[in-house]
Amino acid sequence: MENIDSNGSGLSHPYNSLIKMRGIWKTYQMGNEQLHALREVSFDVRRGEYLAIIGPSGSGKSTLMNLIGCLDTPTKGEYWINGEQVAKMSDDELARIRNKEIGFVFQTFNLLARATALHNVELPLIYAGIGSSERHDKAVDALNSVELGDRISHRPNELSGGQRQRVAIARALVNHPSILLADEPTGALDTHTSAEIMTLFEKLHEEGNTIIVVTHEAEVAERAHRVITIRDGEIEKDEKIR
Amino acid sequence: MAFIPSFSIVFESFRLAVGSLRANKLRTMLTLLGIVVGVTAVIAVVTIINGLDSTVADAFSAQGSTAFSVSKRPLVITSREDLIRFNKRKDVTDQDAEAIERLCDTCWRVGMSINGSSLVKFGENRAENVSVRGLSLEMFDIENVSLQAGRLWTEQEGRSGRAVCVIGTDIVENLFAGRSPFSVVGEEIRVDGVPFRITAVAEPFGKVLGFSRDNFVYVPFEVGQRMFGSRDSIVVHVQVRNSGLFETAKDEVRSIMRNRRKKSFSDTDDGFSIDSQDAFIGIYQNATSGIYFATIGVAVISLVVGGIVVMNIMLVSVTERTKEIGLRKAVGARQSDILLQFMIESVTVTMVGGAIGVFTGYGLAYLLSVVLGFPLLISPSSALLGVTVSFVVGMISGSYPAWRASRLSPIDAMRNE
Repeated sequence: MENIDSNGSGLSHPYNSLIKMRGIWKTYQMGNEQLHALREVSFDVRRGEYLAIIGPSGSGKSTLMNLIGCLDTPTKGEYWINGEQVAKMSDDELARIRNKEIGFVFQTFNLLARATALHNVELPLIYAGIGSSERHDKAVDALNSVELGDRISHRPNELSGGQRQRVAIARALVNHPSILLADEPTGALDTHTSAEIMTLFEKLHEEGNTIIVVTHEAEVAERAHRVITIRDGEIEKDEKIR
Repeated sequence: MAFIPSFSIVFESFRLAVGSLRANKLRTMLTLLGIVVGVTAVIAVVTIINGLDSTVADAFSAQGSTAFSVSKRPLVITSREDLIRFNKRKDVTDQDAEAIERLCDTCWRVGMSINGSSLVKFGENRAENVSVRGLSLEMFDIENVSLQAGRLWTEQEGRSGRAVCVIGTDIVENLFAGRSPFSVVGEEIRVDGVPFRITAVAEPFGKVLGFSRDNFVYVPFEVGQRMFGSRDSIVVHVQVRNSGLFETAKDEVRSIMRNRRKKSFSDTDDGFSIDSQDAFIGIYQNATSGIYFATIGVAVISLVVGGIVVMNIMLVSVTERTKEIGLRKAVGARQSDILLQFMIESVTVTMVGGAIGVFTGYGLAYLLSVVLGFPLLISPSSALLGVTVSFVVGMISGSYPAWRASRLSPIDAMRNE
């Protein structure tokens, strides 16, 4: 955790710090009780890192993932992503950040059932306001990069689990986001396919993508270069393993 | 952030709307039904009434506003009390007609009619409730009757009370099936058992509001008077040269008649009635505006019901697609994008319903126009009205579901398994 706050003001964002969280709290009101899902969480992620976030269920790792992915805002604390303070952003501003900076990969793929692989991959580009021919080219490129160039007009129900997850990864990558954020990406896949997907992640990492994987599976976490362990809403461990 | 939907998003929303409508055909059809019924009603009624208006206008403009009639009772009687009161009046007689002809300067033509209805037979063929009118010769000019075959009776024949007649085309059709108008001239038909020789067949007048105006036998006035005169008053018809003289002539005739009835200024009742086509048009407009409003009411109710159905289905659709909405938001859809998507979907449903409604409405109007015999006047403005109405219904019933969808949080949406 060196060299992230060189002038001590807490407001600098060095070039290589892509994510910077400072004193993040997330508190839910449950009747009369306050439930602290995250307490005072601070960490940085540099460009090009391959990070796994692990923790038992109820540890707060899903809450953390939602905050990293700008799906939610913290109750307290500061969060910069690529130099932009997102902790206090409105819904629509967050939508813009998600569209530009984050590529999501979900456990259950979350593909549109009636749409082709190509159209699923085009989706983030539609909301980025990109015209149809450029959209088509970019989506085809993304599908090629996950080796599904020959499946562009297939619908999800015509694809295997591994292929569906690769479509989802292509969708996550198509807008060239800063971060590829995966939530239990192998949770719905068999061992063999899981290995395939993890190999793909490694390849994407080598190509320079920043990858954050949230998981409870040790084998998945082991593939990362850095592991953050969350327990009871706090960072228990933050270690480089490679 | 300003709400400026890009073309891509509008197109995507439209594509999506069509896709989800096609994916659920039965549901879509049921959803459309209310809108279709409502718009069909609007279009059909507007088209039918347009058509009727034009036939009625045509039918009555044959005489234009140059003719009026003087009779014992007015054309329109709205209450029993009035009927009793009017029946106490003196009959209008041929002396009244003669006086009008002599004293009224602005009157151009003065004719007389006496009206009844009878059983008409030719051999074994019979036609009931045929309008039998005794007409003075002037009436053929006033009412613009032209003949397609034969000749009118002469003044001499009329005055001497000869049993001759001019018939309408319905009589030719009903009593002389398959024979040409020319071939029936000279035949003898029986009107209430009395033989009449046909001297001519009139050109058809056509139908008004589905009722034929060609089911008649015209006989000389003197003959008509013998047949019905003991039972009823006659009607005096007056025509002026041009419509500019119309009101003057009416006033003149009124004062002549009031004199004859010995009415003073203080008498509120004339003791006779003067009617013109305006009265017919008035009744007609009353009747059609009633139909108009009743059907507009039905249309509004079915559109409201249709709108509620659309809203209901849209709410179901939002619930079903919670995950999809969550995903779209996760990949960058703003609230306005989701709002737009569901608004477009809702408006697409109702506009499709509206378009179907426009066509079925025209179809219905076409069927009725064939059955009732009036021209089909398709006005683009009624189609525009139908489409606009369905657009508005779509906007209204889509807004709440779309708003709900747009407010969904992406986390909650994707948690929904």
